[in-house]
Amino acid sequence: MKRLIKTNINGKVMELAVNPGQTLADLLRYELGLTGTKKGCEMGECGSCTVLMDGRPVNSCLVLAVRVDGRSITTIEGVEADSGLHPIQKAFVEHGAIQCGFCSPGMILSAKSLLEGNPSPDQVEIRTAISGNLCRCTGYQKIVEAIASVAHKGVKNE
Amino acid sequence: MLLPKFEYHDPGKLTEACRLMAELGQGARLLAGGTDLLVNMKKSLVRPQHVVSLGRIPELASLKKEGRRIRIGSCVNIADIAREPVISERLTALSEGALSLGSPLIRNLATIGGNIVTARPAADMPPPLIAYGAKIKLQKKGKSRTIPLDAFFTGPGSTVLEHGELLSEIMIEMPSSLSGASYIKLGVRKALEISLASAAAFIRLDSPEGRIKDARIALGSVAPTPLRSRSAEEVLLGECPSPALFTKASEEAARDARPIDDFRGSAEYRRDMVKVLTRRALDKALKRAIENQEK
Ligand code: FES
Ligand code: FES
Repeated sequence: MKRLIKTNINGKVMELAVNPGQTLADLLRYELGLTGTKKGCEMGECGSCTVLMDGRPVNSCLVLAVRVDGRSITTIEGVEADSGLHPIQKAFVEHGAIQCGFCSPGMILSAKSLLEGNPSPDQVEIRTAISGNLCRCTGYQKIVEAIASVAHKGVKNE
Repeated sequence: MLLPKFEYHDPGKLTEACRLMAELGQGARLLAGGTDLLVNMKKSLVRPQHVVSLGRIPELASLKKEGRRIRIGSCVNIADIAREPVISERLTALSEGALSLGSPLIRNLATIGGNIVTARPAADMPPPLIAYGAKIKLQKKGKSRTIPLDAFFTGPGSTVLEHGELLSEIMIEMPSSLSGASYIKLGVRKALEISLASAAAFIRLDSPEGRIKDARIALGSVAPTPLRSRSAEEVLLGECPSPALFTKASEEAARDARPIDDFRGSAEYRRDMVKVLTRRALDKALKRAIENQEK
């Protein structure tokens, strides 16, 4: 039996009828067309499905859609502002921290959550924050540099 | 990857959850953080007809200090345990365990209770909790009991939990001054790692230069369950801490360990590592016990 949930997705309050067996990742991708949230392993190991749930990064492949009732979700589509890319997104582009781009939504959301709680993280804190996000292309160094560059400038200017 | 079909229940009260578990019978599974259950369901290792979510029960999500005791609801997530100041300051080994579990993404979902009831020998919460002498409260319809955590596990994935019974709370007496603890996990990488071996040590001294009044050593990944090393504790009790004493205790811990060979490491290597890890955990625990004397 489907259930009604009320949730805030990227700033929009929505009422949705969801299947108990549906994951948040599937709800976002297949019902709402928010395909920026990727699915890699679907087992909680790669982080490509990362979204922010009440501001905290989680693997959306391991969250049942019914559980987001009353919570707010930010996906990569909610990070960009009308004025253009978010400073973290810009930094990823400028530093060559994106190759195929499959990990990028998750990396950027993990970085965003880190920088909101800790505006000037050190190398270890940056590497820890993205330790649940795998990248098969960049070797991580450029991603770490991109995050560090925003950390120094500050992320305020959205 | 689709989840098998099931009926979903999300009671708002603990008593209701207990009633549901009693009524629904064997086909029901409890859902806390989901990082274990949902993975097993996707792999078709379990196919519950009913899933009872504990996520809407407020008392299971609370963490409070009452006098000298800290009470942690079973659904408190691992990230909150790691960031709780009372825990990082006074129960340091527990926050070390929390920070070594999974990844930051997993820690925001996984719960302390889930990490206990799944009864994996490599789980990161049981060794530090056992080292602190934690007790757990088990509840079912019309009945509740409190037992020490080290009496909970019976084998890989199996525990003393009865049918319809659930873990509601973890209780820890705040360690007094002159006590210290530490948890060390050995793996080949730093995140999303299942440990090769791990060790937690707790000691309490009777005076700054004095003897060991209390000692608990708990090991992970080297037996069918998280393992308390009584022989190591016996070596330590009543003695003055010294490098020779700690070496002897670590050798006893290695003897108590019952590791197996698997693709992650050989039994022999694991046993050697128990000795190294226990020794290091004891050194750290002692250092913290001495630093902890003013409080
Ligand atoms: S798809 Fe969710 S962690 Fe890999
Ligand atoms: S850029 Fe390809 S996976 Fe990271």
